Amino acid sequence: MRPPLLAQTVLMALAGPGEAEYIAGDLEEEFAMIREARGRAAARRWYAWQVARSICALLQLRIRSGELTQAVLIASLGVALPLLLLDRLWTFVYSQIPLKDGLHRAAGFLVFNALCVCACAAVLGAWAASNWAASNWPASKRLGLKSRALALAFAAAVAVLVALWAGAANAPAGYVVALALAVPASALLTFAWRKSK
Amino acid sequence: MSKGESLGEFEHLTLLAVFRLGDDAYGMRVRREIAERTKRDVTIGAVYTTLERLAAKGLLKSALSDPTPERGGRAKRSFRVTGLGIASLNRARQELGSMLEGIAFPLSGGAR
Repeated sequence: MRPPLLAQTVLMALAGPGEAEYIAGDLEEEFAMIREARGRAAARRWYAWQVARSICALLQLRIRSGELTQAVLIASLGVALPLLLLDRLWTFVYSQIPLKDGLHRAAGFLVFNALCVCACAAVLGAWAASNWAASNWPASKRLGLKSRALALAFAAAVAVLVALWAGAANAPAGYVVALALAVPASALLTFAWRKSK
Repeated sequence: MSKGESLGEFEHLTLLAVFRLGDDAYGMRVRREIAERTKRDVTIGAVYTTLERLAAKGLLKSALSDPTPERGGRAKRSFRVTGLGIASLNRARQELGSMLEGIAFPLSGGAR
């Protein structure tokens, strides 16, 4: 008889890989004791209630360990900020090229623009990923390589979307999607490459 | 002693619980010890946040043990009170004793 799956998933997601292991172990041990004393339904209710009331504390624990701060800092400074500046530069370049009424910009020009930004995103994502993989910060050491890659990829995707939304709300949807995929993809590929070495 | 080094109420209770439990002090046991003795409904998250803070202050040290079947194959993080932690408990006891000196319990009255 296992604890409620939803509560267990929330716990594992919030506590982070380092803390989740022993916190879940503690809860599981007490869950078994309560199930024997008060029955299955009471034990399941107790488990879910413990996780629900621990959400703020678990987040606090994770922020204090530095994992979230590192991911957000690297994604923001290493990926989103340069992308935002690049996007602003291209917007400026666009604005300097006059178009006659009824004419549209060549599709090739837009594709070239998207390719340039994607290439930069890939390089920046790879740089951020390899930098984090090689870092000796305590929180980085405790996280597995795969967890670090996924955390960074997710944070980078969110940062890119926020940066593009803030900087160029009128950017074409395909362009935004390409960027949001290119950055985490490059981060994941770099982590995979480092692991293989 | 600076404010940052002083113990909060829940920190004090947690440190005492770890001391009482000795070698068997880990999250679940600490939670139960506090809950049974103080009749408070304490969450595991609150206990671990406090244990982490006490460890960061150097009052506790922790070690991970091997996974066991009754814990679903998961490891256990055990805590022990350090010399600094013992000194902190002694100081807290002394301060409290000093403040309680000459006061007869149970108290009565109070502002309305």
